[in-house]
Amino acid sequence: MSIEITRAGKMSLEIHTPVMPAAGTFGFGDVYRDVVNIEKIGAIVTAPVTYDQRSPASGPRVVPLDAGILVHTGLPNPGLNKVLKRYRNLWLMLPVPIIVHLVGTTPDQVRKSLARLEGEDSVNAVELGLNDDISVRDAEDLVNAALEKTEKPLLVRLPLYGADHLAEAVADCGASALVVAAPPRGTARDPISGRLVSGRIYGPLIKPISLRMVGQLVRRLESKRIDIPVIGAGGIHSAQDARDYLEAGARAVQVDSVTWVQPKMLEIIARDLGGWTVTREAGALPDEWYPGMGDTERERLRAQQRQDATPPSGD
Amino acid sequence: MKETEAIIERVRRINDAYQHLEISVDSTLTRIKPGQSLMARLHQTWDPYLYAHWWPVGVSENRIIVERPAGERFDPGQIVTLIGLVGQPLLFRRTLRNVMLLAYDTAPTPLLMTVPWLLGNNISVTLVLLGTAVQYATGHLPPQVEIVHGEGEMDWPNQVMTVGWADQVFAVVGRDDESGRFSRLMERFRELRNDVPSNYLFGVFQPVLPCAAGACHACVLPLRTGSALVCTEGPAYDLTQVMLR
Repeated sequence: MSIEITRAGKMSLEIHTPVMPAAGTFGFGDVYRDVVNIEKIGAIVTAPVTYDQRSPASGPRVVPLDAGILVHTGLPNPGLNKVLKRYRNLWLMLPVPIIVHLVGTTPDQVRKSLARLEGEDSVNAVELGLNDDISVRDAEDLVNAALEKTEKPLLVRLPLYGADHLAEAVADCGASALVVAAPPRGTARDPISGRLVSGRIYGPLIKPISLRMVGQLVRRLESKRIDIPVIGAGGIHSAQDARDYLEAGARAVQVDSVTWVQPKMLEIIARDLGGWTVTREAGALPDEWYPGMGDTERERLRAQQRQDATPPSGD
Repeated sequence: MKETEAIIERVRRINDAYQHLEISVDSTLTRIKPGQSLMARLHQTWDPYLYAHWWPVGVSENRIIVERPAGERFDPGQIVTLIGLVGQPLLFRRTLRNVMLLAYDTAPTPLLMTVPWLLGNNISVTLVLLGTAVQYATGHLPPQVEIVHGEGEMDWPNQVMTVGWADQVFAVVGRDDESGRFSRLMERFRELRNDVPSNYLFGVFQPVLPCAAGACHACVLPLRTGSALVCTEGPAYDLTQVMLR
């Protein structure tokens, strides 16, 4: 199975299953390696990166909500050069494409970042994250700045509430794909400190809102004969949630906070949508097929194989 | 890190405010060391959304004892999903003889797993309770532990002597303003000692951990040398190295 998740062209990006983690939910591909079989997911979208290093936000950063959370990290990262230095070798070894999520700060910073990423073999594509309050003009400037310096596929992640009026402009600039959408922003009172905190909201309730936006956008783009793949994101907590996005017209999906609260779910969704649940070999062990089954059978078989391989003692 | 299921074998009320849960766990989790913790989920629903952060206070063969507020309801036989191990063990000095554990405006629970290990290695333990922590009942702790109750905000009897006598100090503070409280604690120690050396005063940080795996970057702690993830590299940091408010 091969799915082209960007516009067709010499530098298009193909993945083998239409499921990947959303930016900021899977580290830099260095986490969850004991829990998630990375071969089974379509790609890795990294944690957000900026050209210069960024410090974490001060004050409360996580507010538990009813069936969700609000997170305000401040996008801490050591800067693009340090990230590449630290993770380049790991990314080269990983069996899936790496999509670096670049925070859309200023056109100059985006230009410098893309120029730096262009020569990186370890990076297969770039996802440009647009600010929630960005104007169409500023979004065009950022996308144009990025495309000036790269031939790698450029995915653009749109803010949820601005997606409808930004999509067409971003597509016209030449973006390779649209990611719809970034988690919406909200404000909630932190029960520990009693302070009001603003940040991005994650949870299953985001899905119906984002799904509607994806459906509307896909139909509108189709009606205007704008051919650009849409990747659906927001609130996916099960394989059925992911299938709903594909039914609404998304080419692939990004799974976000469910990875934090049910780490195996990303792989379960990827296996489901990647066709592994259908093509399972008759003799496959349940835990090879379905990661939620635990590792008892595989471990027992390995222990048996080790025992069989041990030569009998001389006495 | 591993996601496993465990069974609550026994629920024991230790005082009016806290209970101890004895949990049968996967053998990999019994390798837990003082400073490390677990993330726990009792129900397969999305409310509460996040795993709860559970601090063990004791470990025996295939069992871990965790301390939880008495207001939470648990039943023997209940299944709990655990993610762990979270964090790194506390780093004790090789020549350690006296340790001070300090809780300021919070229960000392994250520090208590060190007690059996320290006493077992003939290391003296003093537990200082400051602010609202003085309300923490200590009847269940071993009699060898010296308990000191604070007087006022940041004072306790024989302060200069206890601070000079301790080879290392591990502190937990109220979570509503960790940075501010650790900062005040640091100032107090600077008043009580001529100099606060490195690897002497450690803060055990307890931020809310959405992932506990280093994926979400919500627990990044700014240090003088860069930054660190409390969930994978913490929870204890030398306070002379932390950028406090």
